[in-house]
Amino acid sequence: MSIDTPESLRAHLQTAIEIEWSTIPPYLCALWSIEDGGNQEAATCLQDVVMEEMLHLTQAANVLNALGGAPRLGAPGTVPDYPAALPHSDRSFQVSLLRFSQEALETFRRIEHPALIGAPPQPDRYTTIAQFYEAVSEAVERLGADRAIWSGDPARQVVPNSQYYGGGGDAIAVTGRHSALEALQLVIDEGEGFAGSVFDGDHEILGEAEELAHYFRFDELCRGRRYVRGDTPSSGPTGDPILLDYDAVAPMRANPRADDYPRGSELRAMTEECDATYARLLARLQTAFNGAPETLADAVRDMWALKYQAVALMRVPVSDTGETAGPAFAAPRR
Amino acid sequence: MSDYDVVIVGAGPAGAILAAELGAAGRSVLVLEAGPAAGRTWAEYRGNVEQFQATAAKVPNSPYVTSADAPFPTVLDITKLSPGGPPGDLGYFVQEGPLPFSSDYLRSTGGTTMHWLGTCLRMLPSDFDVRRRFGVGRDWPLDYDELMPFYERAEHELGVAGDVADQEYLGLRFAPGYVYPMHRIPPSYGDQRLAAALDGRPVHLDGEDVALRVTNTPQARNAVPNPAYDGGRGYQPVGAVGSPHTGLRCEGNASCIPICPVQAKYNALKTLHRAARGPVEIRTQAVVSRVVLTPDRRRVSALEYIAYDDGAAPRPPERVTADVYVLAANAIENAKLLLMSGAANGSGQVGRNLMDHPFMLCWAQMPESVGAFRGPSSTAGLEMLRDGPFRRRRAAFRGEIANWGWDFAAFAPYLDVEEAVHGRGLSGAALRTWLARRIPRQIRLGFLLEQLPSPDNRVTLDSRTDGLGLPRPRLRYDLDGYTRRGMAAARECASQVFALLGAADATAYLPSDPGYVTLDGSGYTYHGSGHVVGTHRMGDDPATSVVDRDQRSWDHENLYVVGAGSAPTIATSNPTLTLAALAFRSADAVLDDLGVA
Repeated sequence: MSIDTPESLRAHLQTAIEIEWSTIPPYLCALWSIEDGGNQEAATCLQDVVMEEMLHLTQAANVLNALGGAPRLGAPGTVPDYPAALPHSDRSFQVSLLRFSQEALETFRRIEHPALIGAPPQPDRYTTIAQFYEAVSEAVERLGADRAIWSGDPARQVVPNSQYYGGGGDAIAVTGRHSALEALQLVIDEGEGFAGSVFDGDHEILGEAEELAHYFRFDELCRGRRYVRGDTPSSGPTGDPILLDYDAVAPMRANPRADDYPRGSELRAMTEECDATYARLLARLQTAFNGAPETLADAVRDMWALKYQAVALMRVPVSDTGETAGPAFAAPRR
Repeated sequence: MSDYDVVIVGAGPAGAILAAELGAAGRSVLVLEAGPAAGRTWAEYRGNVEQFQATAAKVPNSPYVTSADAPFPTVLDITKLSPGGPPGDLGYFVQEGPLPFSSDYLRSTGGTTMHWLGTCLRMLPSDFDVRRRFGVGRDWPLDYDELMPFYERAEHELGVAGDVADQEYLGLRFAPGYVYPMHRIPPSYGDQRLAAALDGRPVHLDGEDVALRVTNTPQARNAVPNPAYDGGRGYQPVGAVGSPHTGLRCEGNASCIPICPVQAKYNALKTLHRAARGPVEIRTQAVVSRVVLTPDRRRVSALEYIAYDDGAAPRPPERVTADVYVLAANAIENAKLLLMSGAANGSGQVGRNLMDHPFMLCWAQMPESVGAFRGPSSTAGLEMLRDGPFRRRRAAFRGEIANWGWDFAAFAPYLDVEEAVHGRGLSGAALRTWLARRIPRQIRLGFLLEQLPSPDNRVTLDSRTDGLGLPRPRLRYDLDGYTRRGMAAARECASQVFALLGAADATAYLPSDPGYVTLDGSGYTYHGSGHVVGTHRMGDDPATSVVDRDQRSWDHENLYVVGAGSAPTIATSNPTLTLAALAFRSADAVLDDLGVA
């Protein structure tokens, strides 16, 4: 299970970027369908998780850039059309764009399940995301001893105290082996790494970590109860109940698409506009991660525009059952 | 042995800063807050946002819980007073007139920063000695350079976004190499359009030409951090209390007043949160009713406070003791408490010199869109008339440039919609087209007028009482000729600005407006700015001032009375940044008093 060449290491980091990104549209659909003020625990959880995925993506891009690579985001094959299997997974299940619901939470729990990424272990298959990042870390430790490998232009780094902001800590600029390991450790520490150890035995869910791993954050929402110190995987959560109100949610239809609606219709135009915003966001992130990090400021504006357009779609009824339209997150066609 | 090292009355910005600084130094602190806990958790804060969303009249205090036991004023209570008639009795204040005091404040954790706009202008160096320079008002016992390091601490605490290069006007100066914690909030589209039309063009006032400049406003609103801050160490923006990943940048929600839904705008809850890392206890719904003095009256021996539960019978007062006492309850509340206690008033100045910035609106329709109703309420101003030789005869002012169209000048956009639907019978696409043509072209200037300290503008105690049986504040308030002449100049300034912009002036002042005043046959209307200033002024002479330069009572050596009430003059800057700077100064003085912990 070793990564033997700089090319292979860079390919793994590109994979990391694609995995992180693929989870974001499903989380956003659930988050944005939650009506203002309702389901606060769930909204906070989803928002935290999305921000952490973006941070992980940014760290992966920083390491890849430091290694002289060029992150790709939005190009054909780098982002999915939904419903889709997660990239580089064992393709055992499809991820749909769903409103906030029990079904969505079960999907999210499965996305974050520690054993998702294909078994049995092979050189390019990892039992858990944590193992995947551990393998990348190990390769950085080993291959990164050769200083010549860190040939990337430092100006391509997304640096702290800059246009980058959000949850789960600040971006770490990567200039060599030490900072690369630090950046990867941040990803491992934030949720993913913790999940790997849970099934080795009946460990306490809440150890020294301040926050639950993503899997358990979704698990407690699924089960409607908080984890507290002392809980284990077999005990399940034993804390306060979490009250979820699936009615205080925009009833977005599953996997909405522009071609659900007739040509020339307002809904089709709105959905296509939203897709165009999504494509522009991806293009700006691609630019930001390829030598112009200040472009993140424009990408943030696209994120807001995407939210407003998505929420507007979620207010338009499309069927007798009261379902509404929603954002398609269509992969850009080039 | 005292119960605490320090007891602080009021959990607004001044009280929070003192609590945080004293707590960080290891001092035990009790903060007594009259109002309820608002927003000390994220869920609680969301409750305030929901109350705001559900309220029809979205006035500054609309998101916050009211109580008969710790009432506060609201702008909905302001009525026109009739000359010689009975005092205005609506709401919390008893308004003696002749004009209504038109500002509100909030009794709550966070104080009035819960609904402030966040404007963080420093005072001008000349503001500190207007008596010596212009023969009006009163000189401060401090000068600008003495206050400069405390302004820097305040700008750190509040998290101010701004660019120093924008702010170096009319003698304003900064320490060498100083930068604000965060880069400026980007100018709005309207700011850019106005700057393109106005910058460098003159207005002719007081017999001379003054060049206009649209100046970005420094504001306590999260923006992109400046990596050069603090000697290259940078600055970490502070997010929402209880949801630290929320509000790390301004999102343009455009409801700063009455509430920022993400806390990108500073509120004193953030400082209270910092304070809670030290040995600091915060007790809410605890109204201090008396400052108890020692028999020789040289010291404060205790505070009495009434803890209340809404709806339940009030409990008897409880006593708490400390080595040092700090009143930080807002200028009117500080004065009320001192008057109720017969304390700190050897000068006879307690409650006098009440000031506000009379806020005069001028509005017009631009030929093209300026993108109204987007972003913070204001991101720029016209600052060049904050100082000049004219201050010998009339008030200085700053002109706030609003981003929210005619907002409360003409109740936009609500009245626009009403006119379209009811007046013009429009609906559907025609309605949208009409509104989209009209509303984005609205511009509005708001002039904040200087007001001189007057012993006759004052707070006293009325015999009418609140839910706890404590007296309601009785206010006497008027605008003198100095301020009215400033209003006339500001109105003239607006007319010339609108002419330069090719905008159609729509300003209208009605004799029925509560704040309608006249000068030389012309009428002008002011509103309140929410800047409650001057009731316990600082000075160098115990005969004419209530507190000294450290905001310590001249009469009682272990009593500090802090906040905007200490300001000898109101000048033209919004008072919060200056009161925060003064609070840091007083925190240092209290620590000196207490000696080594």
